[in-house]
Amino acid sequence: MTTIQQVQPVVTLQPVKGRSNLQRSFARLGRHRMAIVGAALLTLVVLFVLIGSLVIPEREAVFNDPSRALQFPSAEHPFGTDVIGRDLLARTVYGGQVSLFVGVTAVIVQMFVGTLVGLVAGYMGGALDSLLMRLAEAMLSIPQLFLALIALRLFSDPTQFPDFEFLGRDYSSTMIVIVFVIGLTSWMRVARIVRSVVLSVKEQEYVTAARSIGARSGRIIFQHVLPNCLAPIIVSATLGVASAILLEAYLGFLGLGVRAPTPTWGNIMGQANSYINQWYYWFFPAVFIMLTTLGINFLGDGLRDAFDPRSLR
Amino acid sequence: MVQYILRRILQAIPLLLIISFVLFAFTNSLGDPMAVFAESRQRPTAAEREMMRVRLGLDRPVIEQYIIWMVGNDWMLIDARGDGVELTPGTRQGVLRGDLGMSFVTRQPAWTRIEERLPATLTLMIPAYTITLILALAIGVYSATHQYTFLDNLITGAAFFFYSMPIFFIALLTIYIFSVQASRWDLPALPIGGTGNGSFVDLVVHMIMPVFCLVAIQLAAYVRFIRSSMVEVLGQDYIRTAHAKGLGQNTVVQRHALKNAALPLITLIGLDLPFLLAGAVVTERIFAWPGMGRLFIESFERADIPVMMAILMLLCLMVVTFQILTDIVYTWFDPRIRY
Repeated sequence: MTTIQQVQPVVTLQPVKGRSNLQRSFARLGRHRMAIVGAALLTLVVLFVLIGSLVIPEREAVFNDPSRALQFPSAEHPFGTDVIGRDLLARTVYGGQVSLFVGVTAVIVQMFVGTLVGLVAGYMGGALDSLLMRLAEAMLSIPQLFLALIALRLFSDPTQFPDFEFLGRDYSSTMIVIVFVIGLTSWMRVARIVRSVVLSVKEQEYVTAARSIGARSGRIIFQHVLPNCLAPIIVSATLGVASAILLEAYLGFLGLGVRAPTPTWGNIMGQANSYINQWYYWFFPAVFIMLTTLGINFLGDGLRDAFDPRSLR
Repeated sequence: MVQYILRRILQAIPLLLIISFVLFAFTNSLGDPMAVFAESRQRPTAAEREMMRVRLGLDRPVIEQYIIWMVGNDWMLIDARGDGVELTPGTRQGVLRGDLGMSFVTRQPAWTRIEERLPATLTLMIPAYTITLILALAIGVYSATHQYTFLDNLITGAAFFFYSMPIFFIALLTIYIFSVQASRWDLPALPIGGTGNGSFVDLVVHMIMPVFCLVAIQLAAYVRFIRSSMVEVLGQDYIRTAHAKGLGQNTVVQRHALKNAALPLITLIGLDLPFLLAGAVVTERIFAWPGMGRLFIESFERADIPVMMAILMLLCLMVVTFQILTDIVYTWFDPRIRY
């Protein structure tokens, strides 16, 4: 009689240490040279505006003394002084904080509206879908600066909103206006991306399966649809910050952006426009705008490569 | 094909209607065009302003104003004197019959305002765009055929650099170097702004800096686009076949690769061409160039709604037209596509 022996498996299966797609993507990002350079540039800019505000008190940015107007950079004023004698280093530091803040919050607005419109259009379909997509198409056929100007008319009287105080500092109400003007005029591409992801995910078997076991729309959206949108949303949000900062700068340059007393890189440039001979007046804010957008574009490009499913490294 | 084009045109009509209504509602219901007159030298009284509003028809509901803007008011009686009596027949013909309305500020037809500015904008934008395309093709193709060489990396880096630059930075830098410093060192300096004294040579001299700035800003995006579509095409099997049958590098690149890589470029050009009409707001401002971008800003600042609407609708019409044209042109270049 043969005894059946317990056969020991030759290979022991160990649970594979799973890494999610997102983790793999960020690992790829860490090996992307340009993305690292971009992140480093951004860190430098952020450190500049943060450490700067610890060293230089805020009143320096608004304190004016016409007797020292348009001074060449010196040890006392490393970036020189502006036309009414304000220290340009302090203004670049505090203006930078506002510019970065406007850029990031405008993108949050943009992502919120874009994702919402994309989800609704893609998920609901039908007449609502075509109406929303026609609206996006319509808004895309007008240059964004023109659109922003029209949106600016929405808040035509800036004095109707009071200036506000936050963390002990005064800000112009126009800052919030500009955030919404930028956010509400740039959601269209995000909406289109999200919509196309929704449309393709909606047809997947796992969504049909989820629906057949009784999952509600909300669960399907948060569990299946949104995670699939995450990668393109992160990429376009990153790149969106760069274009939001540029748009803020253009509006400020035209004198239609954030108003005094709040400095931004854009409105410093706007004031400096008439003083081309005093290069230090416009040079530093412009360099910081450039470093920021350069860093963001590098990083965004790296993110795009990292999230691309075809680059499986 | 004809059927396809007709369908596209029919689809474009509701789109244009939606755009026009949304824009009209936004530009009209917000901001008071009469506020401009309040700042003029002979400040009108409140009663006079009210009368002007009535005469311009601004007291009507937006939807009624929109209909008048579309089809005109020559079929109805209006209150031309602002005294509450509707006696005079209207004179406006409406956008559908080519009447874009009168500028609130200059009292000229809005179309005249555009006609004044459009040539200046096109003189600036068309050369800038043409130079951009030619340079981008040359640089992009070189970059793609010499992938990962030193020069390619340099081009890619420079493209990122210029792509991230705000245009006013390049503009102010070039003015500072070629006007301010050049005249300080007694070198021939370039003029800072304007369109010159009317002679062709002077116009070209005035165009150098703005065109340079526009090219520098636009070039990067096109170079990156052309490089990536060239790289993709160069990896195709038919390129290997072309090499294998003994064709020279130049023939392969020009006859086989470039033709295929140019297809997505057509779409890009078709999308960008109508925006040339919009001018370049910031560049025109810096170089005091009397173009469309400045006209829009001026109209915006003075709440000159008819001119704003005229510019916006011209742009939208062009965008829609160029989208259809692009599709038609595309079928010529790519016979695989049939409608």
